[in-house]
Amino acid sequence: MAVARLARLAALAPVPVFALAGVGARDRVQDLALDAGVVFVRSPRHATLLVLAGRFPVEVADVIARIHDQVPSPRATVWWGLPEDQPVPEGFPPAVAVPPERSAAEVLVQVHRELIRGERDPEPTLLPHVPPSPWKGVGPYGQGGEGMMGGTPYGRPMAMPGPDRDGLELDRLRLRIGPYFPAFPSGLVLDVVLQGDVVQEVDVVSSPFAGTRLFPESRTGPRPFQPATVEQVERARAESHLRWVARALGIHGLHALGRRVVRLAQDLRPEGVADVRRMRRRLERNPTLRWATAGVGVIGRDQLAADASGPVARASGIAADRRISDPVYERLGFEPVVHDGGDAWARWRQRLAEAEQSLDLAQRAHGTGSSLPGRVEGPRGEQADSLVDLLPVLLPGMEWGDVVTTVASLDLDLVDAPAQRPAGVA
Amino acid sequence: MLGALTAALAVLVSAIGVLLGLRALGADDPRGTAPPEAVPFLGGYAPETHAWSRFHLRYYPLTLLFIAFEMEMMFMYPWAVVYVQEGVTALAEMGMFLAILSLGVLYAWREKVLEWQ
Repeated sequence: MAVARLARLAALAPVPVFALAGVGARDRVQDLALDAGVVFVRSPRHATLLVLAGRFPVEVADVIARIHDQVPSPRATVWWGLPEDQPVPEGFPPAVAVPPERSAAEVLVQVHRELIRGERDPEPTLLPHVPPSPWKGVGPYGQGGEGMMGGTPYGRPMAMPGPDRDGLELDRLRLRIGPYFPAFPSGLVLDVVLQGDVVQEVDVVSSPFAGTRLFPESRTGPRPFQPATVEQVERARAESHLRWVARALGIHGLHALGRRVVRLAQDLRPEGVADVRRMRRRLERNPTLRWATAGVGVIGRDQLAADASGPVARASGIAADRRISDPVYERLGFEPVVHDGGDAWARWRQRLAEAEQSLDLAQRAHGTGSSLPGRVEGPRGEQADSLVDLLPVLLPGMEWGDVVTTVASLDLDLVDAPAQRPAGVA
Repeated sequence: MLGALTAALAVLVSAIGVLLGLRALGADDPRGTAPPEAVPFLGGYAPETHAWSRFHLRYYPLTLLFIAFEMEMMFMYPWAVVYVQEGVTALAEMGMFLAILSLGVLYAWREKVLEWQ
């Protein structure tokens, strides 16, 4: 009886949710995190609901099934973006469908309440209940075997030692950090070899999002090409940079600041350039951010492609920007922002400066309505896909905190960029 | 004799209390122990190597240094008791003691004991 009352109280708490953002859903999921009834957690073990948002390739179904089983029972899945008449495909967890136009927060609160009060059956595990392999020794009673060094207890080989930096030999742990690790961008799969918390080797595994068939199917089809105006392009660029800032602030643990930046990015207008400038000054004065990012993940000019252009290249001192050669931008008096140093702090300052500059350009271009004659670069620049190839060179030797800082500072997009290209912008 | 019996009874009662408390907290709940639920979270894939691995205890020299200076603190406790009545001589003597030992700290600093990177 007391348990039932406690259960009713528990049902009123904010819903702990582990969100997986698929194609076309990253911004929506970021906006959902602002809702007071929902709290986004860092691991499926702290969650009650698993939220799939957007579209997923069918190849990623077993990854999602594994994460689904790691959510402790009672568990439920909600698929935001699945139209109500479409069935969930094979391999995916049976999900409550929320059409993309509806707000997911009320459905999440509703499903959570029903789960806690026992009105909804919890979802069973999807993967088979089979241990990876039984513990089996060599002797007749199951004893013996190779034991601590080099054996395979419970089906997994022990981490074997390798040389460490001060002459000792310590174990090298090989892990595959998957597509939905919260500190990494969605879709990044890395095979890392860790000694303690120092990364020794990094291999980028090809993203499961490279698959072409996405589920649910897009109902609108490919968008026709529409020439964009300077105001639209620059407003989109500023919003992209601010949303990156909010994501990276969340990764660094500055959650309240991150929420402020999301609110700033949500209704971004060219007149809001003063707010962006204030936020930029505030972040540049923040000491924890500077200590976390200064000197970390230095990318030299020679490590980038010859024709690289984008915030990462400009933060390393390469003054390349496709907008220089455009006559419309020349008329607006555009000068590319360049920083020196190439570390994560330089990339932070670069994107903050570019966000402010973009809104300023949008304000100046307001009302002129001139559309762009040629292509200009997007918020991530040209050759943004090749940044992932820098990771096996950049990350070995770093401690894990610096690895997370560096990957966050690169603003990788491994989900939306392979799957779709927005019209009018490169 | 009676004391021993009471002590044994107390141990038994508290042991039973601990077991009942653990049971109330759900320590014997088999939910969540099935293999797919017990896999550590790595972002979507299962781990390939076993989690029993050794890593460097980089703060070990610092803990030895700490224990050494803890013994210095032990010398300071009786000194603190008589410090007020002894006056400046006590201050000077302890100052010399600390100065000699702080040479040890300087040595450790130069030997990079305080850096773990």
